[in-house]
Amino acid sequence: MSAAAGRAPPDPAPGRGVGARLARKEDRRFLRGRGEYVGNIRLPGMLEVAFVRSPMAHGVLKKVIKPRAKEDCVFVAQDLKNVKPIVAASALKGFKVSAQPVLATGKVRQVGELVAMCVAPTRAEAEDLADQTEVELEELPAIVDMIEARTRPPALVHEHWGDNVFLETLWDDDLSEVRKKAHIALKRRIRTARQHMAPMEGRGVVCEWNHRLEQLVMHTAAQMPHINRAGLAECLGIDQGSIRVISPDVGGGFGYKGILLPEEVCLAWLARTLGAPVRWLEDRREQLSANANCREHDYDIAIYADAKGRILGLECDATVDSGAYSSYPFSACLEAAQVSSILPGPYRMERYRCRTWSVATNKPPILPYRGVARTGVCFAMELMVDALARELKLEPHEVRIANLVRPQDMPFNNITRKHFDSGDYPEAVRRAAEMIDVSNIRKRQAKGESDGRRIGLGFSVYCEQAAHGTSVYHGWGIPMVPGFEQCVARLSPDGVLELRIGAHSHGQGLETTLAQIAHTVLGIDPQNVRLVHGDTALTPYSTGTWGSRCAVMSGGAVGTACETIGERVKAIAARLLEVSAKDLSFQGGFVCVTGTDRQLSLAEVAHVWYRKPQLLPADVDPAGLEATVGYKAKVDTGTFSYACHAAVVAVDTDTGHVDILDYVIVEDGGTLINPMIVDGQIFGGTAQGIGTALYEEMPYDASGQPLATTLADYLLPSATEVPSIRVDHLETPSPYTLFGQKGIGEGGAIAPPAAIANAVNDALAPLGVEITESPLTPRRIAEALLGKQ
Amino acid sequence: MTRTRRVAFTVNGRPVQAELEPRTSLADFVRESERLTGTNLGCEHGVCGACTLEIDGAPARSCITLAAACEGAHVRTIEAFDDDPVMEKLREAFSAEHALQCGYCTPGMLMTARDIVLRLPGADEARIRLELSGNLCRCTGYMGIVRAIQRVLKAP
Amino acid sequence: MKPARFEYERPQDVPAALSLLKNEARILAGGQSLGPMLNLRIVQPPLVVDVRSIPELRGFSEDPETVTLGACTTHAAIEDGRVPDPSRGLMRHVASNIAYRAVRNRGTIGGSLAHADPAADWPSALALLGGVAIIQNPEGKREIALERFVTGLFSTALADDDLLVALRLNKLSEKARWGYWKFCRKAGEFPQAIAGALHDPERGVTRAVIGALRGAPHVIADARHCDPAAEAARLCADPYERQLHAVALRRALAQAHLA
Repeated sequence: MSAAAGRAPPDPAPGRGVGARLARKEDRRFLRGRGEYVGNIRLPGMLEVAFVRSPMAHGVLKKVIKPRAKEDCVFVAQDLKNVKPIVAASALKGFKVSAQPVLATGKVRQVGELVAMCVAPTRAEAEDLADQTEVELEELPAIVDMIEARTRPPALVHEHWGDNVFLETLWDDDLSEVRKKAHIALKRRIRTARQHMAPMEGRGVVCEWNHRLEQLVMHTAAQMPHINRAGLAECLGIDQGSIRVISPDVGGGFGYKGILLPEEVCLAWLARTLGAPVRWLEDRREQLSANANCREHDYDIAIYADAKGRILGLECDATVDSGAYSSYPFSACLEAAQVSSILPGPYRMERYRCRTWSVATNKPPILPYRGVARTGVCFAMELMVDALARELKLEPHEVRIANLVRPQDMPFNNITRKHFDSGDYPEAVRRAAEMIDVSNIRKRQAKGESDGRRIGLGFSVYCEQAAHGTSVYHGWGIPMVPGFEQCVARLSPDGVLELRIGAHSHGQGLETTLAQIAHTVLGIDPQNVRLVHGDTALTPYSTGTWGSRCAVMSGGAVGTACETIGERVKAIAARLLEVSAKDLSFQGGFVCVTGTDRQLSLAEVAHVWYRKPQLLPADVDPAGLEATVGYKAKVDTGTFSYACHAAVVAVDTDTGHVDILDYVIVEDGGTLINPMIVDGQIFGGTAQGIGTALYEEMPYDASGQPLATTLADYLLPSATEVPSIRVDHLETPSPYTLFGQKGIGEGGAIAPPAAIANAVNDALAPLGVEITESPLTPRRIAEALLGKQ
Repeated sequence: MTRTRRVAFTVNGRPVQAELEPRTSLADFVRESERLTGTNLGCEHGVCGACTLEIDGAPARSCITLAAACEGAHVRTIEAFDDDPVMEKLREAFSAEHALQCGYCTPGMLMTARDIVLRLPGADEARIRLELSGNLCRCTGYMGIVRAIQRVLKAP
Repeated sequence: MKPARFEYERPQDVPAALSLLKNEARILAGGQSLGPMLNLRIVQPPLVVDVRSIPELRGFSEDPETVTLGACTTHAAIEDGRVPDPSRGLMRHVASNIAYRAVRNRGTIGGSLAHADPAADWPSALALLGGVAIIQNPEGKREIALERFVTGLFSTALADDDLLVALRLNKLSEKARWGYWKFCRKAGEFPQAIAGALHDPERGVTRAVIGALRGAPHVIADARHCDPAAEAARLCADPYERQLHAVALRRALAQAHLA
């Protein structure tokens, strides 16, 4: 662990706008325990729900016997009349559609699938009812291994499909030339374990039917409230206007809360049927046993290179374990469809071929977890680059520098036609190599450690396409294609700016960063900016917060809306100050006549609009100080942020334990709206990446039982497992966004598994050990070493 | 049906008398009966630390403490520390060092941080990290939290 | 995750407690082990008997040879040195590395021992240190040597109507050296291997213990010439587990200068 955090933080940008390390506005309530998470909402007469969940991974549901004298408190599928199953169909050719009944019907397809819903005055009593409910199941062979599921299925998850494949994709190319001329060809089988996102707060729903508004009001911990509303409307067969979804304070998402839940549909139906508010809060055991739903990939991959280590070609068969159903809205196609287009990443090569399968198994339906497929492909690609370096006895960071897209190539369309906007990837690697001090590490390795541990050094590079728009997602065939983002901006009579956005903030600090944007455009004090988000009744439609899109999309919408308001303010101020609007500028909350000390506060201008319209210019825009403005990015392909991570590890070859001695990141997120918040995203993502690399996995036994169902077994890294991390920033603005900002929220979680695995493999290479499976647990490492003895 | 049990203790300096089911956890009692919702539930099996509050001056996990077992005890939740000088320093430091994002682990984290600052004034970074390891955070990667505690320990 | 229903009693003395210990009642001390089990509904006792008010289970006493600790002595009290330490720092070291401070503030040495989770520290550490468990039941008081107290996985020499009241621990002499090493995947979690070693030449003790096995800790009465690999091989079939236990023992022996 390093004592200092690398370079001193850069001087904060002057003022409180884009670039400033502004302390967060939302801290005020969280530091006093006054956050309003869904579990804090209590409605009069509220009843509590507990679910009966399938104990079996795959089985025919024969019968559910409700507890005697309490039958009217327990509901099964047959009771939920006219409720449709959840369907998330991809538009991609050949995608097989799954229908997920909100309460199991006919079959159960995963441990933890909802079978019955129990209602009682308290959660404890609801759980008592769940215990007393008997479920009769006839066991079917469990489909647990994704390769077997595809090639030698013991059974079918969805019988009418004829196989267990949601989707197959092919990015085709002819590698025959490359195979012939390559000096070196390396093949590997690489596997990443199934995981759980494990935000600190579980999911939760509080729901009631409002008679006055004839509307279902649902409070739910959600990242994409408008999408939840759409899904609820589809399943309940009512119009979207009959539903109001409110996402309050949310204790972490990471993708886990970007989903329409069967629990949400059940509670919506229940609230309407009972005429009483109802609540369900997910507990940790439900979460772990029923919802380990991400990251499980299998790569059969080959790399071809010349004698100097230049990559000539890459081919891969990749399989994604997508679980039992296609989740709404991202569907079971997203990760498998992404893989082939993002595997080559920022590397140049001549030929590339990739086949992918999204496979159905008796496990929880896949959800995109921070980084999505990028984490898996980075792991696969970066392990191959290091294998190549080892084979050719070259320094791994130099092999990267030789193969990465160069600044002079920008903007660059890579072999999968990904459009890279800007950046200097080799420089990121060079700086990371310098920060981690490669030559010093090599000397230390040569010397050996007094305690017998083995030191290793690993790099990984990734690029994060973010804030990409319509055409890209349409190309991936997801059912919910994002369009344009809007912001409703309103300057109130007392000069406070209210911004309404469709995305949602659950840790990213949007209440602060978007206020900083407003400050940059209008000079308004961020304390006088109020962000309204998370409520479908109050905000414009948005696909929500995911894919690292908010800084670019919501930021773009906010910036553009503020510009519109700014023009309107200037038009009024110009009349009041009797100057031309082009002589006006915004400064510190005032509209100022440039070069003089004449000025009006924003509040004074607003006061005239609202209270003294007789003073307005004759040609004033009657839309006034309220505007709904949309943002259109210059290109659809979004931004590419990127980074190089480097890790130094010490491996105890006796126990297999890995200590991270040093960890550096050189990242380029374009213009950083709030560098402090950007660092926070990087640190948090990296901690999750360390979890992926060394600690987190959800194993399943042969009958499909999840084996790590409490936090005693599913290990989340704590402050001792996460080291002090040093970060350096390159800031190459994106030419395509309003301030040059790029999406960066996921990057931290992409690179660490590869960097750490490469470091461990570097440490153990002299012993002939190479590990190609994550997490690199002590047992896996020690057994690999034992196997070599 | 089990009997309910009468129990009396103080919560945030206020005497409380409750008639409750023995199986009620202290966490659920403060959250549901006392409407002190600052204390959060993250696992209900004593691992994550989100539910950490103070019982008789010492941090404890309220999710695995029975309310009935608190007879005569002095319980303090995060809401009791609005005017606490040490907590005020920690709040300032947490904000300055970006030691929170979603805020869910924060009340428990602050309870533990305050205990570290008061009990271990000489703690170095390694010791701070060790003492924090019973409070999980999924958002911050702990960097800001460690720095915030260091900041308070260093201050005069 | 809410428990199934149960009754709760908090007796003020030993006879009152003993009269409640029937029909699968569970004893509650610190609640750090029982609490999760109740919440997970792994156990569903009809009655929980809180023993923390009983005077005999609190407090401590000392004589030239031994220290007696009430069963409800918390790990934190031992860690902080608020009770006398007979073990020249071994107990304070063990206590301070149990779980996390919030757990140590409530969890008790008696509760941990009586629960007998094989991966817990006290069963191994106390078997190493030596002493007796003082037990009361309706028939009276008796003592059981600590190295024989834990009999298997979550099993002890306690019968259903027994109450563990206190621990009387042997004081180590000034020249005693000890070692204690455990392997945890992450800080504060249950270890996968525990080993302790004790060399007290004045009292002729050259003992070692292997813990975090699937049952009772394994005591090696004379560790002077023991072969860690062989000891581990006798206890584990799995090669990695064997290696872990052998490494733990080796390291503990080295710390106690017995290697």
